[in-house]
Amino acid sequence: MILLTIAVAKGRLQEPVLKLLERAGIGFSPDSLSSRRLAIENDTGEYRFLFVKPADVPVYVEHGIADCGVVGRDVLLETTTDLLQPLMLGIGRCQVVVAGRTIAPVPNGGVLKVATKYPRLAAEHFGARGVPVEIITLAGSVELAPVLGLADCIVDLMETGETLRENGLVVVEAIAESSACLVVNRASFHLKADAVNKFTMLLNEQVLGEMTCSK
Amino acid sequence: MTEPLSKIPAGMRYYFGREARLRRAIEDTAMTIFAGWSYEEIVTPTVDYYSLFDHAMGHSESHRAFRFTDNDGRLLALRPDVTSAVARAAATLFAGRERPLRVCYVAPVFRQQTRSPAEWLRETTQIGCELIGGASHIADMEVLLIVCEFLQSLELKFLITLNQAEVFNGLIQINPADPIFHTDLRHLIAQRNTAALGLFLDRYDTAAREGLAQLANLSGKGQTLSKARQVIYNERSRAAMDQLENLWRLIESLHLADSFEIDLGDVSPLDYYSGLTFKIFVEGAGKPLGSGGRYDGLTASFGADEPAVGFVLDLDGITELLADDSRFGTHEPKDHESDLRSRWQKIYGQKTDATIEEVTR
Repeated sequence: MILLTIAVAKGRLQEPVLKLLERAGIGFSPDSLSSRRLAIENDTGEYRFLFVKPADVPVYVEHGIADCGVVGRDVLLETTTDLLQPLMLGIGRCQVVVAGRTIAPVPNGGVLKVATKYPRLAAEHFGARGVPVEIITLAGSVELAPVLGLADCIVDLMETGETLRENGLVVVEAIAESSACLVVNRASFHLKADAVNKFTMLLNEQVLGEMTCSK
Repeated sequence: MTEPLSKIPAGMRYYFGREARLRRAIEDTAMTIFAGWSYEEIVTPTVDYYSLFDHAMGHSESHRAFRFTDNDGRLLALRPDVTSAVARAAATLFAGRERPLRVCYVAPVFRQQTRSPAEWLRETTQIGCELIGGASHIADMEVLLIVCEFLQSLELKFLITLNQAEVFNGLIQINPADPIFHTDLRHLIAQRNTAALGLFLDRYDTAAREGLAQLANLSGKGQTLSKARQVIYNERSRAAMDQLENLWRLIESLHLADSFEIDLGDVSPLDYYSGLTFKIFVEGAGKPLGSGGRYDGLTASFGADEPAVGFVLDLDGITELLADDSRFGTHEPKDHESDLRSRWQKIYGQKTDATIEEVTR
C-alpha cells in the first residue's frame, strides 16, 4: 500500500537523491529505474516517486497531489508556495550568485540590467539595496546575456563556476546558499503524520551520518 | 488590443447544476446545525472601511484586500473577512444584548492578492460562527464541537490542530519588540524549518532559545504538552499550556481525542488571535479547510472589551472535496407543490416561445 507520494526534482538533483534514498533503505527495482516512467514505486511499494521539473515540485506538494517533495532551496526562494520545510538534505550544494563580466558591473543609464531565471529573487536582492534594476527573465543559457550585451549582469545558480569561467564571467557576490530540501504538504504533515515522520527520520539519519563522516 | 468580453478575472468562478446544488446543501446543513446551537445569522456589509480590516487583521493580511476610495477619499475595501465587522457590531450595535452573543454567517470574502499559487480563488465563501462574551475553555469547546458536528454530518474525516497564541508570545517577550524578528521567527517555525531556525536563533541572544527552537517539533496528542514543559519555562507560556491542557482533558472526556492534536508549531495565524488558535484539516484536501481561535482583545478597539472565540470554514474547498465524492449523490432539485405553476404548465408545458394568440386562445 502506498503510504506517501513524493515529488523529486528532475535533472541536477535526481541522481544524488536516488543515492540518498538507497542509503536510507528505499530501493528500486532495476526495471523501474531504467524505464522512462515519470512515476515509480519503491520495491516495497510504500512510496511512490514522481519525477517532475524542479519548479513544479512545490506545485505538486502545495496542492497535496504529492505529500512530500525534494527540491533545491533556490526553487523555494523563487516561489510563494506555502510549504513545510522540515529538513535540509545537504546534497546538491550550490550558490545563487550575481555574476558579470567585471567585478563591478556598470549600469547602463542608471538602471542595472539583470538577466535571470530567478526574477523574484533578483528583484528582492537589488530592491533591498535600492538599486534600480530591469529584470530580464530568461529560461536558460543565462550566461550568454552579459556576453552579448543583453544585460549588465546575471543572477544564476553556480555549482562549480565552470560555466561562468568559460563564458568569461566572474562572481560579483553570492546571494544565497542552496541545497536540496525536503518539503511537506501542510495537510499531509498532520493527516499522514506517522508516514511523514518515518520518511523524515529515514532521511535525517542519512543526513546526520553524512555530517559526521565529513567532519 | 481589446480584451475579449468572454474573459473572467483571475480567481473568479461560476457554480452551476450539481455543484451549485451541493454547495447550497452544505450551506443549509451548516446553518441548520448552527441554529441548533442557538447561533443567529448575521449579514455584514460587503464594502467597509479599509481601516477596520487593517486594524483588526493586521497589515500583512488586510493589504491583500481589493481597495478603492469613497466619495470623501477614505479608503474602502471589499471585505477580506467577516470576523472584523462582527466584532465591531458586537461592541456597538449589539452592546446592549444579552451575553453570550452567538452569531453565524455564510458570506463571500475577497482578496486581490492571494497568499500562494494554490490558493487561487480571490472570492471564497466563509461559513463561520462567533461566540462573544464567553471566556472559558467551555466556550472554546462549544465552537470546536460545532465544527465537529458539521464535519461529521458531511461524513468527512478530519483533524483539528490546537495551539495557544500566548505560548509563542511568552517565549518572545524576553526579546526586544523587533517586529521583523518576530515575523521571520514565526515564519520559520510555521515552516518547521528547523535548520534555518537554528541558524536564525544563533544570531540573536535569547533566553528562550531552546523553547523557540523546539516549537517546530512540538505536535501530537496530549503528551506534547508535557514534552513542551521540559523546554519552556516562562510563566506566560506555561499558563497558556495549562489552558490547552484543560481543553485537552475536556476533549478526552468527550472521546474526541482521535479528531484533535496539539500543534505548538502553528504560529502563523492572524494578528487578532489572543488565546486558543486552531486549524481544520480534512482528509482528501491538500490545505486546511478552516481555522479559528480566540480574539479577546479585538472588541476592545471598538469600545467594549470582551472575550470572543470563533471559526471559519471554506465552503468552496468543502464543495470541491465533496463534488469528487460518490457518496454525495446528485443532489437533484426537490419538487414542491405549486398551484399556479401546475395550472400554467398543464396548458403550456415548458414552452417559452408560445405566441400571445396561443396563450389567450
